[in-house]
Order: sequence, then structure tokens, then C-alpha cells
Amino acid sequence: MKYALFVGCTTLSRLQAYEKSTRKVAEALDIELLDMPGSGCCGTTYLHTLDHVTALAMAARNIAIAEKMGLDIITLCNGCTEVLTKANKELKEDPELKEKVNKILAETGTEFKGTVKVKHFVKMLKEDIGLDKIRDQMQYRFKDLKVGSHYGCHMLKPYDVYLGEDPENPQVLDELVATTGAEPFDYPNKLECCAGPIMGVRENVTWEVGLDKVKTVKQYGDLLITACPFCYLTFERCQLVSEESPNLPVVHIPQLIGLTLGIDADELMLSENKVDAKWLPERMEAI
Amino acid sequence: MITLTDEGKTFRKQVMETPGADRLMHCYQCGTCTSDCPIAKRVDEFRPRNIARLVMYGQKDRLMEGDLLYLCAGCYTCYEHCPQEVHVSEIVTGLRTIALNEGHLLPGFRAIMQSIAEMGYIYEIDEFENEMREDEDLPHAPEPNVEAIETILRSTGFLDKVEASKR
Repeated sequence: MKYALFVGCTTLSRLQAYEKSTRKVAEALDIELLDMPGSGCCGTTYLHTLDHVTALAMAARNIAIAEKMGLDIITLCNGCTEVLTKANKELKEDPELKEKVNKILAETGTEFKGTVKVKHFVKMLKEDIGLDKIRDQMQYRFKDLKVGSHYGCHMLKPYDVYLGEDPENPQVLDELVATTGAEPFDYPNKLECCAGPIMGVRENVTWEVGLDKVKTVKQYGDLLITACPFCYLTFERCQLVSEESPNLPVVHIPQLIGLTLGIDADELMLSENKVDAKWLPERMEAI
Repeated sequence: MITLTDEGKTFRKQVMETPGADRLMHCYQCGTCTSDCPIAKRVDEFRPRNIARLVMYGQKDRLMEGDLLYLCAGCYTCYEHCPQEVHVSEIVTGLRTIALNEGHLLPGFRAIMQSIAEMGYIYEIDEFENEMREDEDLPHAPEPNVEAIETILRSTGFLDKVEASKR
């Protein structure tokens, strides 16, 4: 399997642990992730609220890079996932809009054709690789570990953009957690947004939303996993600024999977997680 | 008392031209959006139901006050849960677009958009970051085609609007 990897600004600059663990897991599963030369910011989820056509053109320029490579795009950030998936769908379905955007792109020597797909890394693992194949490659499994999943909004919604997972009852992260031997669970505010997007507007609200979730997960389990840099940063930072931190480890989903594939904790940069998660390997047993 | 003026009607029409916001007039004020909104639970002045109602009555000034429009996290909960498919999230999109067209943008948003135009990313990813990446055996971050990005942002008039914007 070969894909174009769209890492996204936040992961590139701030969350090397997320990026590296993703790359290591891909390598272990024989998935080739190729970087996209010339790619930049997806445009952010904010841009489409300010100027629809500009947002489409920004996204389309990035998609066109993968089209030239002849590869589908894998995303790591829920924000990039939404921006690129939505633009890809709109432009594939609306020839007039596509023409308009291509006129803008022509000034940069690029053209959007509509020949590739956009998929979040975790959905690719489930849909293209398959949980059974991942399970076959595992050398360890977790024992007595309860893991709460936070999906994040833009991996699932709007539903009419993705037409995949039920946004009211998503499965992919819980299924991946179960594959590692850990026990997934439901909790009351599981589907609530991390509120990361308003961090720059009302930081205190973001921390409040984050702490509500972290505290709830703490009641039920051992750690929280995320599949988005913004969600991750929210749940980690809200604890760092809190005087009564629940001290709940927040872990990137590829870190959890990577450990069971036999990848060293250092390679997965587990010591970078600000709430200590270095004890995780101790909860595994060899298969 | 609220009076719906001709200007108010024009404003409402403008908002409803936003993709996904055309069903505004189907809102029967049930409040599902507000009761399920993660921000409304914690911020008193943010009420998606009120936003829909205020647009229906053309109350532009009240909607453009303070940072109201920028409190939406864009989580699409209201979009998914509305029994009438009104999509308050898309109404907010329309309102932010109108605000920018009239010269208003939250400074934090302006800073992000200017960073993208200057660096191709929302943060600076230069030698320092790339050295750190090298230490972790990660490849250099893709070098964004900044020229192409600026051309796009400029050619639609977007960047000029951003640069000229005030709060």
C-alpha cells in the first residue's frame, strides 16, 4: 500500500511523537507514506467560514500535489481531514465550482482533476489494511488496560461529507483499541467536541471542555487516546494548566498500536507525552 | 420590539445564500442546537437558537457584536442534530463571511491567515524545527510553495480583505 502523507502544520511543528509513531506503525504494516512536495497548510477549518472559494482553492492545490503523485491522501489531523475531504467532494460533484477554482489554480500552474481520495490514517488502517491483518502482526497485547477514545468532530462530521462512521456511534477508534487487547468503553461526553478551535478566542472555555472530558474518562479508565493534534493538545494542556489535574495520560492512537507491534517506546516517543505514559509497556504481555 | 426592515431582509437573504444555510426559515426554535452545543453549555451569550432567530429578524448589529461569531467551534453538532436541517454552523459561516466582506475580522483569525500567506503554514517551520525533526529521524517538513499560496489568497481578494480588516 502506498499513499501521499499530509501531516499538517500542527503535527509537523509541535507533535513529532504523533508523526513519528504514525510513520513507525505504517512501516511495520508495510504501508508506504510519501511526503507531498510543496504542500502547505490545508487552509484551516476557519478559512472556509471566511471565504468559501478561497478555501476550496487552498485545499485543491494540496490535493493536486497528490494527484500528480497518483496517490490517495492520508491525513493525521481532523481539521485537515475535514478541509480536504469536503473540498475534494464539492469539487468532484460541482463542475462549475471546479472550473472556477481551476481558474484560480491556473495562475499557480496547478490543476485539480478529482482523481484521488482523502482518508484519515485510522480509517485507512481499518478499511484498507484491516483489523485482522494488524492483529496478525502484533507481538504483544495489553492486559487490564481501559482506554477511552476521543474521536474529534471533523473525523466524523458533517456526516453527508464522509458517509462513513455513524457520528452518533462511531466505532473505528474503539475497534483499534480492542485490537490491541485493551478494553474500550463508552462514557457520557464521549462525542463532545474538544473546543480546541476556540482556544484563541476563549481559552478558559477550551480548558473547561477538556477537563470535563478528562475527568470523566478518569472515572472509567486508564487513559485517553486521540487521533488529532488539536484534540490531543487540548486534553494534555488543560491538565497542565489545572491546579487539580486528573493526571490522565493522553496518547496518540499510533503510539498504542505501535507498542503492540513491537516498536520500541523510544521510537514512539512515549516520553514526550506530558502526562506520564511511560508505564504503558508494562501493561503488555507477549502473544 | 423587533422590526424587520428592508435592510434586515437583504441581510437575511445574504446569509441564506451561504452553502448549507438556505433552510434558515424552517427553524421552529426548538432549541436542540443550543441544548447540544458544547460552547452554549459554558458560555451564556452563545446561543445557536438565538443566532438563527436574530438572522430571521435581520438583526445584523446584534450578531456582529463582540466575538460572538467566533465562539462557534465548528463541531457540527447543531448541523447533525437539527430536526429541520437548518445548519446553524453554516449560518455562522455566512455571518463571518459577511463580517469580513465589511471589513471585520477577529485579530487572532487575521494573524493565522497572515501566517499562512507568509510562511505557507500556520506556524513557522524553519531550520530550528527541521533540526529537531532530524534528531528524531524525521524527514524535513515539506517546503510549502509560498508563492503559489500567496497567489491564491491574493487572487480572490481574500488577503487584501484580511489585511484591511479591523475587529
